[in-house]
Amino acid sequence: MVDLKKVVIERGLNPYHSFFASFFAGLGELGMLNQGSINIVAKRAAEYLYAYLDAKEILPDLNAVPGETKAELIKNLILYVNKILSMVGEYDLQDAGDDKVVLLIEGTTCRICPKGVGGAAVKGTLCPIPSLLESLINLIAQKDMLELITTGIEKEGSTCKAYFKVLS
Amino acid sequence: MVPTISAQLDAILNDFERSVPHVQATAVVSTDGLVIASRLPKDVEEDRIGAMGAAILSISSRSGDELDRGEMTRVLIEGTNGYILIRSIGEFAILVALVEKEVRLGMLFYECKNCIEKLSEIL
Repeated sequence: MVDLKKVVIERGLNPYHSFFASFFAGLGELGMLNQGSINIVAKRAAEYLYAYLDAKEILPDLNAVPGETKAELIKNLILYVNKILSMVGEYDLQDAGDDKVVLLIEGTTCRICPKGVGGAAVKGTLCPIPSLLESLINLIAQKDMLELITTGIEKEGSTCKAYFKVLS
Repeated sequence: MVPTISAQLDAILNDFERSVPHVQATAVVSTDGLVIASRLPKDVEEDRIGAMGAAILSISSRSGDELDRGEMTRVLIEGTNGYILIRSIGEFAILVALVEKEVRLGMLFYECKNCIEKLSEIL
């Protein structure tokens, strides 16, 4: 059971985080959501978010995004997306060899987790972040730059991991 | 050489499709809605079949609990063009089959049970 007061204060949730996480938790508990459907829905959300950023004229200029390698560029794009959506507190993107990168999220700082924040009592994961980032970054880059390899998120202690292939 | 799990699953699904006329497509999906193995037509989106199949079985199962119908044994959706049959394979996987209207349901259920037993040995 989630200690709601602790989660709200320690993770710095805003009302939208609370709504999002609890809403999806409820759908998950009814059996209407699973990681497979989250992946599909997150892609749709990415398209909407891209249109939102475009409408607000806050899409990043790729030529101005710092990064000497594609992985660095992706890291900075993730930083940009996270600044806007404020999804997670602590995270890192590390080289995983063979043109792969791994996104490491400190799960105790995630603000949108349907399980850790929303309290969904379900088996498996319900993480929208990897699929959302894959689609949104590819849309911002206007080409396929990132391909999600893992089917969702892998838990290792309090760390949530997702592997991506960096496409040439 | 021992065939891979993927090859074994594919062979079992193939046997099932061959033993029951009018079975058009099959998939083994995790309860997370992620496809483990499939024999689907190219125009069918694998990800969607996985996500929807798992969600349908999950909702049906919860409905069965809530309405005191006991343990869910199978879900059969009947449409004007055919059926969708969904069954659980143990605790962590499900079988989804797309079937034409002309199928003999008794034969379908019998062979599906055999198929589930074979899949359970692997998964």
